Amino acid sequence: MHWAREVPGPAYPERTTEMDRQAMETPWLAKRPVSALRPGDHGWLAYSGLEERDRVIGPFVREGLETTEKVVYVTDAPPDRLPGLGSGHRIDVDAHRRTGALRVISLRDACLDRHGDFEPARMVDTLGREVGEAFDQGFRAVRITTDHSWLVNGPRRSDLGQVLGCEHRVGDTVSPSTMAMAICQIDRRACSPAELIALRDTHEVLVEVNPEFDDGILKIVRTFEPDGLRVEGELDAARHAVFAEQLSQVNTGRGRVHLDFSRLAFIDLGGLHLLAKHATLRPGGEPLVLDHLSPHVENVIEMVGWHRLPGLVRGGDEGPRPGSGGVG
Amino acid sequence: MALEHRAFLYRGTDDFLSATVPFLTSGLERDEAVLAVVREPNLSALRDVFPSADPPIQFIDAAGFYRHPVHTLRDYQTVVTASAPRKVCAVAEPVWQGWDERRTREWIRYESLINAVFENSGARALCSYDTRTLPPRILTEARRTHPLLLDGGLTRSSDHYVDPVTFGSGFDRGRRPERPDTAEYLPVDGDDLHPLRTFVSERAHKHGLTGQQTQNLVTAADEVAANALRHGTPPVGLWMWQTGDDLICEIGDGGRWRPGPSPLTGYIPPDSALQRGFGLWTVRLLVDLMELRTDRNGTFVTLYSRL
Repeated sequence: MHWAREVPGPAYPERTTEMDRQAMETPWLAKRPVSALRPGDHGWLAYSGLEERDRVIGPFVREGLETTEKVVYVTDAPPDRLPGLGSGHRIDVDAHRRTGALRVISLRDACLDRHGDFEPARMVDTLGREVGEAFDQGFRAVRITTDHSWLVNGPRRSDLGQVLGCEHRVGDTVSPSTMAMAICQIDRRACSPAELIALRDTHEVLVEVNPEFDDGILKIVRTFEPDGLRVEGELDAARHAVFAEQLSQVNTGRGRVHLDFSRLAFIDLGGLHLLAKHATLRPGGEPLVLDHLSPHVENVIEMVGWHRLPGLVRGGDEGPRPGSGGVG
Repeated sequence: MALEHRAFLYRGTDDFLSATVPFLTSGLERDEAVLAVVREPNLSALRDVFPSADPPIQFIDAAGFYRHPVHTLRDYQTVVTASAPRKVCAVAEPVWQGWDERRTREWIRYESLINAVFENSGARALCSYDTRTLPPRILTEARRTHPLLLDGGLTRSSDHYVDPVTFGSGFDRGRRPERPDTAEYLPVDGDDLHPLRTFVSERAHKHGLTGQQTQNLVTAADEVAANALRHGTPPVGLWMWQTGDDLICEIGDGGRWRPGPSPLTGYIPPDSALQRGFGLWTVRLLVDLMELRTDRNGTFVTLYSRL
């Protein structure tokens, strides 16, 4: 077992932990974009659809292989159908499997007993073995991921207590490790909100997509449920173009687009103009919904009056935004 | 329908009631949206005359309504819009006490702007001026800003009336405030205004503006600077200093910029953020007073925040 062995030199720089609305309610939870994940992170991804899943797990897998880390994916899906590995990604799956950098392990081999039922102890043993081998093979880190949706929904569903117990043991071993990091995936529609919260709370890190843009002043993050963007920091004239570009990327589909402004500290007047302009161009006349306005942004909008911002409507104010924290 | 904008020069409460009561009564009879935005003691006197009018008259204390000309005009416009399709019938009494010279001028300018903003509203406004207490200069200006006068029981057109565009252009030729050598200076180059916002915010805080005032000033200065970078001529710079009870933030460039397309752009409340002049109008909304001056040194926008 080499979960917590020292590796020479710092493989990863110091990280900063970002708190958000969700994290403030559950202070043990940190939220990180997938590329900021580090060894010791036992991460949680409750995805709302395959796009969100692929935009988190894809980079997780690819960046591991590109930096000669080991990737362990417990799944029954064929390797070339996995996020980040399918056609369109220039990753030689077979070559990575031959060198041992990519381990795609079936559920039967990883965590099922003779009867085909989930056996938590086997899962923990399997992961421990993979990490140990990775150390012996000279990998500096191991990235582990699996999708738990089948455990809570479907013909082979397991007792929730068993799943939670398994997660605790995985967490107990990943968290102190200087080599291993894990993302446990679940389709948020696979179980009840209460079950989702119980599962989420066995993790320390909420994993989300990488930001679309981040220059230290303005940060734009894609959100999936609801469809839209989380805009953080300061939106000003120098950053209108990049914001407009991102807005037009999510502005194409049907249905409402939501902008989470809970962490938008400043918006310039040109930014309001830009929002109204995009809103009037929305297909089907659906408005742009502004959620969780920060006091400053709300003050400016109230002063000019919502009616001067055609196509913009006020959205939710209270509680965590659905999709931001792992429960729906 | 045309606006009926009358200045009512009155002498004392009895005289005030003698014209305003029939005026409000006529509004009720015509099923107009009737309001009285007047000062005490006139407000209480009117309330006593109409204890339970049906439909009701909206009574508003002018002391709260007339605090900032841009806000006041915006709020009147909200009333007119919300009342449509009914027309508005309003007795108004602007507040002239407590303003310095620059702010007094701004209030006078806004009295003139009413003629443009509500030009086709069909509204009827009786603007009351107490001849016993107001300085002669205010009464003189009232004759220039109102096309109609009600004086001594008679309504007649004002011989001194000046249209709002002509009226405003005279105001813009006023002098800029004296900028002391101790004014703090920030050159504005590049297009990233983050350092400018930090500069303004720190100084606003240091001089004692409230958090809300500071954020409003930062938003206003950011807009003016972005505008100068876009339409002005380098060099663009920002100065801040304190004069009396005002913190002043001035942004200048070397060009000769005029808001367009109309001389009233930025004064008339825009219908939406998509209209020209939205930025300039909102800047005026955000700070206590904004002045725009063009002289041989360039174009200067001066933002005043009351400490």
